Amino acid sequence: MNPVSATLALFARDLRAVIRSRSQLYSSIFTPLLFLVFLGNGVSKGLSPSKLPAGDFTAYLVAGVVVMTSVFSCTFSSASYYRDRDSGLLRMLLSSPHSAGVLLLGKSLAGVLIGSIQALIVLAVASPFVDFRWQYGIIPGVFTAVAVVILLNVILGGLAQAFASRIQTMQGFHLVMNLALFPLLFFSGAFFPIQNLPAWLEVLAHVNPLSYAVDALELATYANGGSGFFGMLPDFAVLIVVAVVIYAVGFTRLPKLTWSGK
Amino acid sequence: MTSPKPPIIEAQGIVRSYGDRRGLDGFTLSVPAGSVFGLLGPNGSGKSTFVTMVAAMEPPPSGSLLIFGQPPSTALRRRTGTVFQENAQDPLMTVEEILSLSGKLFGLSRSHIRERGSELLAAFGLATRAHDATGTLSGGMRRRLEMARALLHDPDLLLLDEPTTGVDPDERKAFWQALLERERGTRTVLLATNDLTEADTVCDQVAFIRDGRVITAGSPANLKRDLKRESLHVTWPDATDAQVAELTSWPEAGALSRDGDILRITVDDASAFVPRLFAVAHGGIRAVSIETASLEDAYFLHVGQREARPAAVVSS
Repeated sequence: MNPVSATLALFARDLRAVIRSRSQLYSSIFTPLLFLVFLGNGVSKGLSPSKLPAGDFTAYLVAGVVVMTSVFSCTFSSASYYRDRDSGLLRMLLSSPHSAGVLLLGKSLAGVLIGSIQALIVLAVASPFVDFRWQYGIIPGVFTAVAVVILLNVILGGLAQAFASRIQTMQGFHLVMNLALFPLLFFSGAFFPIQNLPAWLEVLAHVNPLSYAVDALELATYANGGSGFFGMLPDFAVLIVVAVVIYAVGFTRLPKLTWSGK
Repeated sequence: MTSPKPPIIEAQGIVRSYGDRRGLDGFTLSVPAGSVFGLLGPNGSGKSTFVTMVAAMEPPPSGSLLIFGQPPSTALRRRTGTVFQENAQDPLMTVEEILSLSGKLFGLSRSHIRERGSELLAAFGLATRAHDATGTLSGGMRRRLEMARALLHDPDLLLLDEPTTGVDPDERKAFWQALLERERGTRTVLLATNDLTEADTVCDQVAFIRDGRVITAGSPANLKRDLKRESLHVTWPDATDAQVAELTSWPEAGALSRDGDILRITVDDASAFVPRLFAVAHGGIRAVSIETASLEDAYFLHVGQREARPAAVVSS
């Protein structure tokens, strides 16, 4: 029995399910773009923020909105666990000759791909309209952004799948994810620079993996000559380590999956 | 229970508790290879719990369970196909997609899935619905799709947990025809049901289950052998204990069970028995029906109590 084939089958199935759910697909892309248009322009023109490292606020916000897209997309994708449970499909998966790890990995990978594609679409749509500096050049900058987005979605996909398989109701899952991910978004530099924050918030920003993703994305697309809050190497190092740890812990502490959720 | 065929499933003293309640309470059973074996019992008697364990989806907390001579394991699921009590289908997926996903999970090649899938869909009358979403199928069609899915990887052991619940009689007939015409003897079938008529028709062997235990097991013919030839269903609201005791003392009266106003008595010759019955009842009898003694009578003989009675029988 080939676990790779099973993982890919589940991956393809979840991917197909999201593509068929047009409302989820479109809202995951349009909501972040609306943030950019309204919040970005509103703050840029209305408040004229002067402490931004470079350029206007809309351009600054793109990195944060890309991260936000990944956060919401992974959360929605992982909620497919509940749809599978409620529709009964989870019974079929659990009666197959594969461990819970293979099943969760397949579903998680689908979330990673969907989240990454949606985040990169937001980046691509925003790029022509904002003042990106591409300090490493456009092609290296794009490759860096793609790598960061994939790493970030690997982290979020693993995290969301781990929560989904342990929380009994979808409502509870969304509450927990919002409770965990909104503060992480706020302290990541997604909406405002973390350079000038009070010390205690800076501490939170340092232990927040999303901060490293935002920092790397800003360095790749927006910053002009700066080395960012952490620096590109620390950003990648932290993201890779967190991704590895989440999947390693996830596989060694697999939940007992049941079709009833109890 | 003795059997000439080697057992495919051997359960010995399994106990499974849910809080203070025991789902299985010393469950012991042997299922011979190649048989269609019925687990008969009321709702909550432990049928589904046992099926879940045989499907290797939950290990027995105590006691022993061997399937194909081995303890249940993830790898062993390759040899079993399971039709659950409720459908295991995403309503947005098409019939073909369900089979394809299941086939890939069981390691089948695309060409094998296509060939075997088409064959099974034709056998179960779903060939024209292959591209339709499962949410558009009727209840009976979904159950037949479940069966096709469970058979796709050609399992040695087929586990059916109330597979025809909610299915109308025509669909039910089509379901069993498609399964038994093709499959009888080629694999072992474990059927958990509370439909005694269905079990009487399709099972080679049955076990009556109550409160997580096997009360008795054997072939339907053997279980009915202790019964008389005919079964009387007597509606007698005011029957006293003394009157009932008198009936049981008659040598021609076989198994007798009581469910509220209804007395069920098996007899060899109803035409001789009924006049005596009316004489004892002194006009208290409202109705009498005479049927050939069935597995249902054997079930009531062994399982008996109203609270243990299967839903299908209560409503009949």
